[in-house]
Amino acid sequence: MYTFKGGSHVKEYKNTRHAPIEHMPAPAIVSIPLSQHIGVPCRAVVKAGDHVDYAQLIGDIESGLGCPVHSSVSGTVKRIETVQNAATGQFIESVVIENDGLYTRSADAVPYPKALEDTTPEEIVAVVRKAGISGMGGATFPTYAKIQSAIGKADTLIINCAECEPFITANHRMMLERPEEIMGGVKILMHVLGLSKAYVGIEDNKMDAVETMRAHAGEGVEIFVVKTKYPQGDERQLIYALTKKELPAGKLPADLGCVIFNAETTATIWHAFYKGSPLCQRVVTVDGDCVARPANVRVPIGTSYKDLIAYCGGLLKKPEKIVNGGPMMGFAQWDFNAPLTKGSSAILVLSREFCQKGKSKLAPACIRCGRCVHNCPMHLTPNMLVGFAMARRFKDAEAYNAMSCVECGTCSYNCPGGMEIVQHIRVAKAAIRAEQMAARARQMEQEKKGEK
Amino acid sequence: MVTEKEEMIAPVTEDLYGDLLTVTTSPHIKHNATTTKIMAQVLIALTPAFIWGIIAFGWNAFLMPLFAVATSVLSEFLMQKLLKKPVTVGDLSAVVTGLLLGFNLPANNAYFLPIAGAAFAIAVTKQLFGGIGKNFVNPALAARVFLLLSWPEQMTAFPQHRWATDLTASATPAGFATRGMALENANLLDLFLGKCSGSIGEISALLLLVGGIYLIVRRVITWHIPVAYLGTVALLTLIFPYPDTLGFFDLSRMTFELCSGGLMLGAIFMATDYVTSPITWRGRLIFGVGCGLLTVFFRYFNQSYPEGVSFSILVMNCLVWYIDKITRPRVFGGARHGQ
Repeated sequence: MYTFKGGSHVKEYKNTRHAPIEHMPAPAIVSIPLSQHIGVPCRAVVKAGDHVDYAQLIGDIESGLGCPVHSSVSGTVKRIETVQNAATGQFIESVVIENDGLYTRSADAVPYPKALEDTTPEEIVAVVRKAGISGMGGATFPTYAKIQSAIGKADTLIINCAECEPFITANHRMMLERPEEIMGGVKILMHVLGLSKAYVGIEDNKMDAVETMRAHAGEGVEIFVVKTKYPQGDERQLIYALTKKELPAGKLPADLGCVIFNAETTATIWHAFYKGSPLCQRVVTVDGDCVARPANVRVPIGTSYKDLIAYCGGLLKKPEKIVNGGPMMGFAQWDFNAPLTKGSSAILVLSREFCQKGKSKLAPACIRCGRCVHNCPMHLTPNMLVGFAMARRFKDAEAYNAMSCVECGTCSYNCPGGMEIVQHIRVAKAAIRAEQMAARARQMEQEKKGEK
Repeated sequence: MVTEKEEMIAPVTEDLYGDLLTVTTSPHIKHNATTTKIMAQVLIALTPAFIWGIIAFGWNAFLMPLFAVATSVLSEFLMQKLLKKPVTVGDLSAVVTGLLLGFNLPANNAYFLPIAGAAFAIAVTKQLFGGIGKNFVNPALAARVFLLLSWPEQMTAFPQHRWATDLTASATPAGFATRGMALENANLLDLFLGKCSGSIGEISALLLLVGGIYLIVRRVITWHIPVAYLGTVALLTLIFPYPDTLGFFDLSRMTFELCSGGLMLGAIFMATDYVTSPITWRGRLIFGVGCGLLTVFFRYFNQSYPEGVSFSILVMNCLVWYIDKITRPRVFGGARHGQ
């Protein structure tokens, strides 16, 4: 059994594991954010009143890191508005499009004219860039840039199908229903990277998916069954489980000769190459105890949570939290009208009773039980870090490797004392980062003075 | 096509979307382990030995721990009120401290012992140092030593076990000044089962082991400290003869030392106290070995006080910060600490 040291088994809540992927009809209005990735935001290339087709480019990047954005419906651009993103707090532009229900496809969205064998790596990178593909596991790093940086450098290609977050079964269903798309994407990636081998990591709570994927695995593709343990789907832990290489904080997988892609990202690459479809819809798990009909839904990007939940039967009880992503690392939202983006793998609507589960009414207190230390996948001492953070001793937190924390939340999840460990570590990390930037600014100023 | 069931769970009104939402950072779910539940598990694990103590020594074996628990809880409540801190009596940690202190007392009628001891344990050792998780020595053990030094006569007036023979009646077996004689007089099976004299909760090695295994199975404690502690004591007593006798590799001596006195109680329930033991696996092994070394040392060479377990654990408690520091794990992908 392949696994890593640390982590813990988090209650799975995989209620939708048998729910086939449904196609949701696009809602009357979609609001597509122009920044759904790490990097510079897109600039709108359409204006209010314009007619857009399905899969038409609506936001583009002139220079720098970023992914273009496409329309997920055909219709008329109503307005371009600025909304605040709940995850980052940044204000970003969104293109609001009224759906005409015709789904006229953009003339640009055509399959790549050449056969895979005849393409060069540069051509495929261009296809992936044009399709606006960013990492669909949640980190939303532009995929073309990842491929580009890995060409000639990476010797190990890993496809991340671990899906360790509770509730989410989107990748699981993809593997069961569309294994050929994922495997087709793997083949494209192997071709572009010039590799003859690829590794696929799947947790052992999805043995049916393992069988399906094994049956569809192409030449050189090896399926690894990894232990069901959170955070097995973190790229560091999956790389370690499969290759026994440790990726330190601040380094990229490419530095170890590894490159790792999410399962759905891989399938989307296949769509971009063979169908010409850009990333403008994705599979989302809709779950949580407030949702009437938990389901896996293929959703047009830009659909509001409200429309998606309405498609899943509406709400059963009063919601306390709506979470974009998994319950361990997802972002709580404040607005049901916020849109789904390329990085949303799940929408969870949780009630107050559910959110209070396992919580003690007593004041939080560390009893030094050591669960956070034994379960930390980065082998940190969260008990010390939380103490430093609460005492605002950020220098000490830095010395105890606070910056290596991947914020997986295993410590807070398991804490019997009810300490909000990872939450405090985030505070410490932000303070350390601010201090580092200030130090860099001071240094640059001094250098300037020295030049004079 | 709407089935009857679907109609029944038909969603409530649209108005639900208008309700205010809670926004927090992740994680949004939590494991159901709480301090209260952990402490309840410890209490369950202590129950067999407690019942055995009551059977062995009668009414006083019930009253002494009861007074200790009541005083513990009351002191915790009063101290937290006095220090203007949130009241955390509900976490049951004061109950565990009180019961453990009660286990360390002889079942005589010196009722002021549990009251004075428990007040000292909670008010001084625990709350004055910051409450749960902040005390650097085990409160129950600190209180036991406090009582032993203040009222040595009452603390060593052990009543006879209901079913015991006369020979083991006068003092806890580990209290003999010359251990060779004690070993000759001891019935090892009685000692293991708990048909001997001693403190209320320490007499039955068997029932304490059962409690320890329960805690390990329920993942409340790990094997590291008890195994390292008992293993060290076993190894050393196997190798080294008593100062007043000869003989190497004497299995009966090893068994006698393992089952007598407060060793089982200490190794399983006192040394494994989360707050006052190291956090890492390696640290816990070092801690257990240290406790074992000191226990054997104190038992062999100290003539004034019965028992070395309390003092050994208290000394090791004071070293926990240092053990934690030197056993910090190597960060994933990083160089070993200090390199």
